[in-house]
Amino acid sequence: MSAARIQARGLTRDFGGGAGVYGIDLEVAPGEIHALVGLNGAGKTTLMRLLLGMLRPDAGTVLLNGRPPDPAVWSRVGHLVETPFAYGELDGRTNLTLAARLHGVAAPEAARMVHSVLTELNLNRYATVRARRLSLGNRQRLGLAAALQHDPEIIVLDEPTNALDPAGVILLREALVRRAAAGAGVLVSSHHLDEVARVAHRITVINGGRVIGALDPHGIDIERSFFALVHADDERAARGPTDEPRRVA
Amino acid sequence: MTGRTLAIAIAVEARKAAASRVLVSTAVLLCTGVAAISASAMVAARSGNEQLAAKLGPLALAGGWPGLLAVAAQVTAAAGLLAFGVGLSWLYAREFTDGTITGLFGLPVTRPTIALAKLIVYLVWTLAVAGLLTVTVAVTAVTVTGELPDAAARIGLARLLALAGMTALLPVPAAWAATIGRGLLPAIATTVALLAVTQIVVVAGGVGGWFPPAAPALWAVLPGTVSPAQLLLTATVPVGFGLLTLHAWRRLQLDR
Repeated sequence: MSAARIQARGLTRDFGGGAGVYGIDLEVAPGEIHALVGLNGAGKTTLMRLLLGMLRPDAGTVLLNGRPPDPAVWSRVGHLVETPFAYGELDGRTNLTLAARLHGVAAPEAARMVHSVLTELNLNRYATVRARRLSLGNRQRLGLAAALQHDPEIIVLDEPTNALDPAGVILLREALVRRAAAGAGVLVSSHHLDEVARVAHRITVINGGRVIGALDPHGIDIERSFFALVHADDERAARGPTDEPRRVA
Repeated sequence: MTGRTLAIAIAVEARKAAASRVLVSTAVLLCTGVAAISASAMVAARSGNEQLAAKLGPLALAGGWPGLLAVAAQVTAAAGLLAFGVGLSWLYAREFTDGTITGLFGLPVTRPTIALAKLIVYLVWTLAVAGLLTVTVAVTAVTVTGELPDAAARIGLARLLALAGMTALLPVPAAWAATIGRGLLPAIATTVALLAVTQIVVVAGGVGGWFPPAAPALWAVLPGTVSPAQLLLTATVPVGFGLLTLHAWRRLQLDR
């Protein structure tokens, strides 16, 4: 059996004052879309930053493709956390070319990739428009294109549907399904059960910096199940600390 | 860091710099500003403005090429530090203020490689600006004096070029400040502080030559007062703070 695309064990980063993530275990298998759902401030972005080396953990380990991240592994990663990787003074095509080059793609190959992703995410008309002139939604599309164009094996997207219109959400959903079918492991976060979370193979719920449960993506009323999980966890936290860590395998 | 990843990072940073309005406008402002101030100071000195003449010193009073070059050197030492500091601050700080820093994580091209590429692109930009500044001042001097440069003036122009080049090495602490402070303001503040301290040391004279940021200005304005050893010591500023900047990018976390 091949190694997990993403494997986190006991990931902890405490910012003090109750902010942070605590003892998070998480796995994303090849071919799997794994959604991370939680309310604002639940710790989704912190977890993703830990996975991507933007933060160092106080404790715990991260393995990507079965090993600690190194430059060879990073070349197989595509991510979008918070701000789209787009420089305002450069047009769409140039931004994508630079992103491909930074992922180690050779110049001729980068040109082919950019052409392909511009079509895939319906960005052709913005190829020669400076990023600062793009709408928020199209800038987000450009950032997603930069994260996905090199067909990464490991994809980490923090609230990727932010600012996207319904057409953009569908394009993103299809792009992720295609890449997962080709063997990529996809981790997406959302503060609500959006269209992307609904195509996930697995949905993990995070609250107060801890994994508190999982939802059945094929369940009938998963929104209600989500809020029930969060509410129960908030009540448990309000009653005081327990000895049992709130984790799921 | 490998040769290939450094080449990629330099190509990426060069492309960003080429499209930057900040770098172009800073260069234009510096070159035209130094030339305009030098020319107008000469005109004012010729018209008998005693206050200005006192400020500019005896060389400026001499008029002609020596006078104009003396004023240009004084202005370049201060304005050059500020302009190069602004350019360098922007190169590093913009990744934080634009939020693009998140995209510089999780890449096969490491962050220290990108930080080094920024420094290399910055140095290439400053060399171009130093050349442009020297040409602009030369053209201005020909226009104002109506004379072509003699041997002494040509040495003066070479000295101005060297001063601009050395001044470009001084604001590197701003790159470190931009990284530690995660933004433009700490970097600009560092540049202004460096400028203020340098000017005070230059005016105070004395051991000023041993203060690395002040050595190039003293060397250009008062040749003979600064030894080659003191001038070489200037290199400690970019090397020391360049290494600190690379280290800060290696250890960087998005924790605030």
